[in-house]
Formats: sequence, structure tokens, C-alpha cells
Amino acid sequence: MLEVELKTYTKEKKILLKEHENEFVLIKENKIEGIFETQNDAIRVGISKFGNSPFLVKKIVEREQIQNFTSRLIKCDS
Amino acid sequence: MNSVTLPVSNLEIEGPIVDVSFSIPNELDSKLKIEDKKIPNPILVKAMIDTGSSHCVIQENIPKQLGLSPVGATGIRTATGRRECYLYFLRMSIPKHNFVYEGVFTAVTLEAQQSACLIGRDLLSKCTFIYNGPKNEFTLDLSK
Repeated sequence: MLEVELKTYTKEKKILLKEHENEFVLIKENKIEGIFETQNDAIRVGISKFGNSPFLVKKIVEREQIQNFTSRLIKCDS
Repeated sequence: MNSVTLPVSNLEIEGPIVDVSFSIPNELDSKLKIEDKKIPNPILVKAMIDTGSSHCVIQENIPKQLGLSPVGATGIRTATGRRECYLYFLRMSIPKHNFVYEGVFTAVTLEAQQSACLIGRDLLSKCTFIYNGPKNEFTLDLSK
């Protein structure tokens, strides 16, 4: 899931960074559907447009911040 | 008031654990009702407040049971390694209390026996969290 959307983001990232750094982009398949100030706004518009089908909301940043967990309860394969 | 104070028999041993209910977000609920589609039943699980988690995570079968599609993907790093995970937008509430939160949860494989959700610092950044050890109770206040 979301392979097409992630490729679209990677392809458009340079352009997005120039004008919309730290905002949130909503992508469905290979189309940019909008730019939003908050993640929740982008998601709510995504649900309103596409219902319960996959879409991508991504923060436009040069380097994505990885999520960190000290807990050993979360299973990782590597 | 979006605030709850909960007693725990032994807070030191059990940790700040709370019963929560997960359901589809309001926006999707309204859309499914308009389309005359079935609304999935809420799922009741235990959640632990975990200041060692940068983000809220849930057992990956919860969004699957609710029939939800992902709204994003991210990389995570834990004490045991790294992996890619999907993000889901869910409504979390504390039954019998007026506490409701809609936000993004990272779907992971949780090996915890007692909790299917870790409430992380992304939600806590919007809350006042009081851990009252001597009284064996904790408070989570989302009021703004």
C-alpha cells in the first residue's frame, strides 16, 4: 500500500520543499491533492475526498524524523 | 471536560494503564452513514502512557479490525531495531469519561500482554499528565 504515493512524494519533494517546507502534503496515487498547515487538516480532507481508501499525508521536510521508542515491547525484525 | 483521573491498585508495578476504546474517526463515520454503510464496532483495549515513546502506537490488528486504510508511512527505531510502519487516523476515547482524542497512531507489532496501545509524547504534548505515585493515581488532561 502507498507505494505509488510515496514515489510521487519522492519525485515532487524538491519542488515542494522550495515553497511548502514544514507543511503537509496530501497525495492520492500520482496526484498532489493539496497542501495543509496541519496533519489532521490534510487527513480530514483526504477522508472527505477519498473515504476509506489509502492516501498519503506527509510532512514536507528535507530529512524525515524517525519515530523513537525506548520500549522493548515493539517488535522489530532487524 | 476532556480530563480523567484514574486510580491504579499499584501504579509502580502496573504503570499508568487505562481502558480505551478505538473507533473510526468522526469524518469517516459521517461519510459511511451518508453512504448507508456499516459502521464498525469500537474496539476496547488497554493503553499504557509511555513517555519513552515519541509517538502513539497501536497493535496493528486494531485498524485492520476497523477496516481502516493507512494515511501515511514512517520509519521507527526501537531498542531492538528499525522497521517501516503504516500510520492510521483513529478516534480514541476513555469509556465512562468525557475524554476523546482523534489523531494519528503508528501500527506496530506489540509484544505487550497487557496493553495494545502506547500513548506517546505526540499526544502528551497536548496534555497535562500528572503521575501521582503516593496516591496510586494518574491524571490525563486534554483540556485547552
